[in-house]
Amino acid sequence: MYIIIVGGGRLGYYLMKALLKEGHEVLVLEKDARICKTITDELGSVCFRGDGCEAATLAEVGTGRADMMVAVTGDDEDNLVACQVAKHKHNVPRTIARIRNPRNAVLFKKLGVDVTVNTTDLIIEVIEHEVPTHPVTQLLTLDEKGLIIVDVRISPESSSVGKTVKDLSLPKESKLALIIPNEGNAHVPVAHTVLQAGDQIIAITPSENKEELEAALGGM
Amino acid sequence: MNILIMGCGRVGARLASLLDEDGHKVTILDNDTYSFRRLQPSFGGTALFGNGTDEDSLKKAGIEDADVFVALTQGDNRNVMACQIAKHVFKVERVVSRIYDPLREEMYNALGLETISPTKIFAQLLREQIEGKE
Amino acid sequence: MFKKILVPVSGTEADVETVKLACRLAKKDKGKVWAVSVVTIKRALPLDAEIDSEIKKAEEILDKAEAVAGEEDYEIETDVLQAREVGPAIVDEVVERGVSLILMGIAYKQRFGQFSLGNVVPYVLKNSPCPVILYQQ
Repeated sequence: MYIIIVGGGRLGYYLMKALLKEGHEVLVLEKDARICKTITDELGSVCFRGDGCEAATLAEVGTGRADMMVAVTGDDEDNLVACQVAKHKHNVPRTIARIRNPRNAVLFKKLGVDVTVNTTDLIIEVIEHEVPTHPVTQLLTLDEKGLIIVDVRISPESSSVGKTVKDLSLPKESKLALIIPNEGNAHVPVAHTVLQAGDQIIAITPSENKEELEAALGGM
Repeated sequence: MNILIMGCGRVGARLASLLDEDGHKVTILDNDTYSFRRLQPSFGGTALFGNGTDEDSLKKAGIEDADVFVALTQGDNRNVMACQIAKHVFKVERVVSRIYDPLREEMYNALGLETISPTKIFAQLLREQIEGKE
Repeated sequence: MFKKILVPVSGTEADVETVKLACRLAKKDKGKVWAVSVVTIKRALPLDAEIDSEIKKAEEILDKAEAVAGEEDYEIETDVLQAREVGPAIVDEVVERGVSLILMGIAYKQRFGQFSLGNVVPYVLKNSPCPVILYQQ
């Protein structure tokens, strides 16, 4: 694939290295001459000096034959415009933008950006995972269906310990997919499975029911 | 009309005063309060500190009741993003954006924004002035 | 001393002198001389695109280099390289072939009314793992 990365900061740099390793044709667009030089000296002709939001620059680097555009500058608005120009002017089939303001995720999708990666949310997810007082961790978002996959830890104080799955008042459309007990093998829960302290549960739920699910499993 | 202007540079401040004189209800937004020194002392509208690409700031500036939104910051991309928020999130009836880069201006115009490229217009004006006086 | 010499040629008059000089330097130790011409491919095309007119031009430049070597009574090898940029292409080739000397010719050039070395020479000087001799016409 031919992948164009806008922004040669740390994120762009390491992303490029990873993609090059996978054998893709990669080009980084970067405004700063010094950064361009550093990248070119180290990795050869994989960096082009120019503004990735400018249609003329994008034409020059052959954006028309690119399979993907990834905009990872530090500014949300620059990433938005780079993706929009790539999409509307050069028909790039897939555009990905990094965003800092989590609320821009919805807006960007509405405006034609295919995928947004929100660094703030990613860090929050990691923190949730690391802090034991927070029993529910979001593992994955299934955007089109509005579903999320979460990881729930059952603490010894939890009200759901000793209850069977059918006795839990799970919210609508929420399903327990897998139980990983403290000891022994992971198993798929059935109606009469009894929850134990220390169980780790992988569940799937509509994103708006996350808190209800948490309450049903006695997390709070 | 209710008019919200983003960016209190020379153009923004002047436009705000002109529209204010014409009797419109004008609010001007900038992320640097020092910029408001450019407003004329007689300006009767509202000057507000805030970021025009942030939905909360825009709400505080009364975008939900605005009839017109004008983006006049130095950054083309910021203008374009703010205008798209105004148009697609807040459904403001008229949004006008300054876009210096003529190519980007053409593209966003085709995408349905009302755009003005001072680069294009000014070069054209100068050409007419120079050639006209020959 | 220099067993493997790489001579980038670009169709300028300096080519004649650099090829000649490379042959004379190599003769003593029966060293190898490669003359290479780089065809640059715009980003709008994939790297392996075949632009016949450019390749033909490069081959003509290399034919001339071979003729000059012939006059010196020395046999050289020639190669057309295809790349996005000339500098990195030369350095990559040097590393791959374990070249011991680069002999480059340049013409005196001005850009924006000022003397200019261009992009290629500074890149090669900075990144070459082996000695470089620069010949200015």
